[in-house]
Amino acid sequence: MNYNWDWNIFFKSTGIGSEIYLDWFISGLGWTIAVALVAWIAALAIGSVLGVMRTLPGKVLPAIATAYVELFRNVPLLVQLFMWYFVVPDYLPEATQIWFKQELNPATSAYISVVVCLALFTAARVCEQVRTGIQALPRGQSAAALAVGFSIGQTYRYVLLPQAFRVIIPPLTSEFLNIFKNSSVASLIGLMELLAQTKQTAEFSANIFEAFTLATVIYFVLNMSLMTLMNLIEKKVRIPGMMGGAK
Amino acid sequence: MIRFNNVHKWFKDLHVLNGIDLQVAQGEVVVVCGPSGSGKSTMIRTVNQLESINEGEIWVDGKNVADPKTDLNALRAEVGFVFQHFNLYPHLSVVDNITLSPIKVKGMDKAAADKQAVALLERVGLAHKKDAFPAQLSGGQQQRVAIARGLAMEPRVMLFDEPTSALDPEMIGEVLKVMKDLAESGMTMMVVTHEMGFAREVADRVVFIDHGKIVEQAPPEAFFKNPQHERAQQFLRQLLTPMS
Amino acid sequence: MRLTTRLLTTAVIASAFAAPAMAEGTLDKIKSSGVIVLGHRDASIPFSYLANDPSKPIGYSHDLQLKVVEAVKKQLKMPNLQVRYNLVTSQTRIPLVQNGTVDLECGSTTNNLERQKQVTFSVGIFEIGTRLMAAKTSGVKDFPDLKGKNVVTTAGTTSERLLKAMNAEKQMGMNIISAKDHGESFLMLESGRAVAFMMDDALLYGEMAKAKNPGNWVVTGKPQSFEIYGCMLRKEDPAFKKVVDDAIKATYKSGEINKIYSKWFMSPVPPKGLNLNFPMSDEFKELVAKPNDKSAEQM
Repeated sequence: MNYNWDWNIFFKSTGIGSEIYLDWFISGLGWTIAVALVAWIAALAIGSVLGVMRTLPGKVLPAIATAYVELFRNVPLLVQLFMWYFVVPDYLPEATQIWFKQELNPATSAYISVVVCLALFTAARVCEQVRTGIQALPRGQSAAALAVGFSIGQTYRYVLLPQAFRVIIPPLTSEFLNIFKNSSVASLIGLMELLAQTKQTAEFSANIFEAFTLATVIYFVLNMSLMTLMNLIEKKVRIPGMMGGAK
Repeated sequence: MIRFNNVHKWFKDLHVLNGIDLQVAQGEVVVVCGPSGSGKSTMIRTVNQLESINEGEIWVDGKNVADPKTDLNALRAEVGFVFQHFNLYPHLSVVDNITLSPIKVKGMDKAAADKQAVALLERVGLAHKKDAFPAQLSGGQQQRVAIARGLAMEPRVMLFDEPTSALDPEMIGEVLKVMKDLAESGMTMMVVTHEMGFAREVADRVVFIDHGKIVEQAPPEAFFKNPQHERAQQFLRQLLTPMS
Repeated sequence: MRLTTRLLTTAVIASAFAAPAMAEGTLDKIKSSGVIVLGHRDASIPFSYLANDPSKPIGYSHDLQLKVVEAVKKQLKMPNLQVRYNLVTSQTRIPLVQNGTVDLECGSTTNNLERQKQVTFSVGIFEIGTRLMAAKTSGVKDFPDLKGKNVVTTAGTTSERLLKAMNAEKQMGMNIISAKDHGESFLMLESGRAVAFMMDDALLYGEMAKAKNPGNWVVTGKPQSFEIYGCMLRKEDPAFKKVVDDAIKATYKSGEINKIYSKWFMSPVPPKGLNLNFPMSDEFKELVAKPNDKSAEQM
């Protein structure tokens, strides 16, 4: 095919101020990381609480957590994003609404929406991993902890969760990578993260393949770094004398 | 020290504890035996409420354990429990297994807890393993650590739920020795076990339980020589000639 | 590292788009296969879009595209030439033309210098101005009124580029929202997140006609640029380009363009029976009088 390759495109002017196309990719990567990391930390916290709730005795708390998981796992991510960006703000008090929609920088309000959306969506998935991790532990562990006088909270904090998290590092790694990939939905509400900047570069320069190739390479390197990081963590917390975590 | 008053428990339709009455005095060592499924493990687990009961009362050190007003966590801190499968915390080193609850439940400072842990490990003959992890120990060693862990809370009673039945035969002796030393130090103990040698040598009393009922209790001499109840006779016969 | 990456990605992309090398011209290809493949859009109202029949596009640009098909039939003496449709998006339209999947794309594609490096454009088929839509009550009359305000435009359009450049050069302090498509841009405007929506005027009229209360909105502001839409075809294929250009020019010369124009811009159009009420601009009248394939910046 007669495609006109130009790998120097990234160093050429975008025609806007003094920016070159590479600047767009760098800023896009910055937004992608800012969205994914913050959403991930929140998802991990919320998901852990929910995961613990699902394993507690009694009926009410597990039911609440189960309902949460069903809701947030089964509604498509895009629909949820539009809810958080277009629908929910309309139900805020008048003054907050004006602040959110008009006074706040649009990038900031889009950022808030997408972080809330990804955090709550991913929390449902983290919840299931945490629940599985806890349920995979021998039942004797909680009995042993309770028998020495630990409260339920202490039992989870000192005995069950440290083991459960070791077990679920591999699936959590994949959720961690997913949140980076899912962060590209932000482009649909106008947040100029990596994918949005890639599309913009493709449109403006008409060097479509170069733009998407660079994006592929960036996502690839990003994912490899995250995987290396998680592998290091997994090695560091590995229990001596055990293969592949607590069982 | 421990008193059961007409205790009943059901698992759905199964009547696992059917009117248990039992007293264990301070300093007494009571061995509980009976066929599998007789309810003996359930019974010992009700003492610190790892199993709840449906009817009756259990008093431990003057507190009614089934009373919702009783602080169960405080009660459990005074009752040591040793499990069949040891249940050490696999993610913690031996010394941390022992110090975790003194530090977190009693608020002991770490240096004191460590010192106490080392002393306890010496007592069970494992001081050299203090930095090992459970998965690096044999079953017998793990069970000795578990006993040290129970003792670290300075309990007034120690409960043992089949402490040697998950062990290879050559490791049973080292655990029983630790238990014997403990009994000789004056600890109140309730032990579910099939180790009749231990019962004969160490126990003050043997309790035989079948179908959720205590059918016979007697000093070991009398129980082994001359069991009264037909089920107990049968049980002892089977235990002594396991191949038949 | 850089070289390996380049080789690797080139190989991956080349295999993904493995089309036969286009040594032959498009006309030869059409002749030997008996099929012409038309690229169309799904929602560029009223240029090229899907309305009632999901398998067949309609629109102003599509009508001109069909004129080209007639001309090809005549040229190749193939009255039974088959037409196949291929939906394209703003991201796929250029590569699909280049790799031979689509023979001719007519939609709402602006002819510009960057794209001319990749494809060839037909003579211009439409001319728009980039302007603003705002609420009548907003007080926004022209671009200088947008200082420090939130302004929305559609991602990947010339308007986005112009708006960002204007913001940088004139230090207007605008917050620019890049929405994913025109419908969402209008939603941003309607929900109060932006005070104005910058876009091709024809498309603004299209959005206005779809609005719940079209009377609330106004298209305003001095056009910041004029854009010429063209049909896209492969580069270095003068024989096919001549057929395409001649077919379009013939429509202009005969005056038939006025009928087509008024059908799509001055009358109700499917699916909702909207009337865009968008009279032909002087700029486009001039283009019809003197057709050429230059981009707006080249004129």
